[in-house]
Amino acid sequence: MKYFINSFIAISLLFTSCQKEKITIGTGVSESFYVVNNGASMRVLVEGNTSSSEFILCVHGGPGTSAYFYNTDYIKHNLGDKYALVFWDERNAGASQGNSNGKNLTLIQMTDDLKKVIQVLKYRYGQSSEIFLLGYSFGGLLTSSFMTTDDNQIMVDGWIFADGSQNYPLNDSLTRQMLLTYGQQQIALNKNQAKWKEIVSWCNLHTGNFSFDESSQLEDYAEAAETYFDEVTKVDYLKLFGSDAIKDNWPLTSILVNYLYSSAAEINKDIAKVEFSSLLYKVSVPVLILFGQYDFVCPKGLGDDLFNKISTTDKKIVISPISGHDIMLQDEVLFCNEIDEFVRIHRLIPI
Amino acid sequence: MIFRKISGGLSLFFFTITCFSQTENMVRRDTVSSDLRTSYNSSLIYPGIRVGIEFPVYFVCVKKNFDSEVPKIISKGRFISMNAGWYHQTNFHDNLYFTAEWTMRRTKENGFFTEFSSGFGCSRTFLGATTYETDNTGGVDIIKSAGYKYAMIIVGGGLGYDFSKKKEIPLSIFYKFEMMGMFPYNSTLYFRPAMELGIIYKPINFIPFLIKTRVKTK
Repeated sequence: MKYFINSFIAISLLFTSCQKEKITIGTGVSESFYVVNNGASMRVLVEGNTSSSEFILCVHGGPGTSAYFYNTDYIKHNLGDKYALVFWDERNAGASQGNSNGKNLTLIQMTDDLKKVIQVLKYRYGQSSEIFLLGYSFGGLLTSSFMTTDDNQIMVDGWIFADGSQNYPLNDSLTRQMLLTYGQQQIALNKNQAKWKEIVSWCNLHTGNFSFDESSQLEDYAEAAETYFDEVTKVDYLKLFGSDAIKDNWPLTSILVNYLYSSAAEINKDIAKVEFSSLLYKVSVPVLILFGQYDFVCPKGLGDDLFNKISTTDKKIVISPISGHDIMLQDEVLFCNEIDEFVRIHRLIPI
Repeated sequence: MIFRKISGGLSLFFFTITCFSQTENMVRRDTVSSDLRTSYNSSLIYPGIRVGIEFPVYFVCVKKNFDSEVPKIISKGRFISMNAGWYHQTNFHDNLYFTAEWTMRRTKENGFFTEFSSGFGCSRTFLGATTYETDNTGGVDIIKSAGYKYAMIIVGGGLGYDFSKKKEIPLSIFYKFEMMGMFPYNSTLYFRPAMELGIIYKPINFIPFLIKTRVKTK
């Protein structure tokens, strides 16, 4: 028995060698760490040029998808060569792990998680590291919550808002209006008539004050709608992510079960009524807003709302004419160029 | 009325089976050694290893076509195995796990066998990178041996070849597909498919058990 216990301790020590702290300052960096907070161990992957001291922290959508999907070769080569890219898997998402922690899956908790991730980033790479937050889709709501809570925004040097939503009720209204407007145009042009007629008639029947089921239906229509336009870049997701899954050691079943759990979790009902438009006046850091012209899921009207409500005068809004809801994949050139320029202008540390 | 019809039907069914199969049963007691098994256990490209001991529980030896010149003999073994396993997935976690499994193995005379197993256990993961915790003042600490304990279930099936049947080499090789489940994993069930390629060594008189072997002749 004693031999067994000793063996177990020896083996355990061997495994923990993977947990030895490794911090690399340089280019072509690829290293991970975990941040523990209130029942969740959240994976953070840092890639690219950490010697730049500029960190673009990606806050993914969902809740429940993963930051793995942003780590494409194009983004790696066109942003990662200049800056450090930080891919954070939120709690109950991607490679993040834990036990029975579902009750902690709330927007308030995730806002606190984000704060702690930034604290650890600064601890690892230096307190003078500059953080640029990049919120996509649900990450837009999460970063809105972060930026308008307490004095959190002093921790970041810029906020990039890509196809995000800071106001879910407004989001629903804008999606409905966009579906109606484009739907009627497409019917008149005799394009995908059957599909658009169904959408338009549904929108005519459901006019506002949407229930959770109605919001979900709107989102389904919105996701489908952008695929009806030839102008929108089609992305072969299987081809795009297929090779990355092996190369980057994606924990596929973890990504899947976390997604299935989080996409059905109570948080989705809670956030359906959440808005930060009324608090955006607090935001005083530089802001870059990126939207796809054909994004029905988070229409560009949300970008206008954000642009008009934030206090900062250092702000820019850019609309991609060939993109739907996945601007970083559908218009990666514009996406990388705009972020590159934004960070370059607002970096405090000279080259 | 319905009950009478059903019971009548069932009686006829059992009577037919009994008449046609003409099964004879014989039970004997044998001292059987336990087996040692080890395998490379991989989930796609991520390495892992398992070791274990199989304790025999009972055997059923089925002799078919006993009257013919070449009767078929099929051996059905039942085992309880205790296993320890480990796998590594870069940047995700290492997992050290222990399982108790019920194994059913059906071996043909020529040595080929199929097996199915199911069991339960426990596991301890070690996160695949440095793990930090922050306090409310912004202080940051490293957590040593960060990871989680999970309950486990495991099911699997596979095939193999028993060299002892033809050449008296006390070894078997096997391939098995397994599905591991760990819970509560982020309040849900984490599952992990794995391929197992391994050997079973049958030492002589290693933790022997006196077990029943039922010989069925059909």
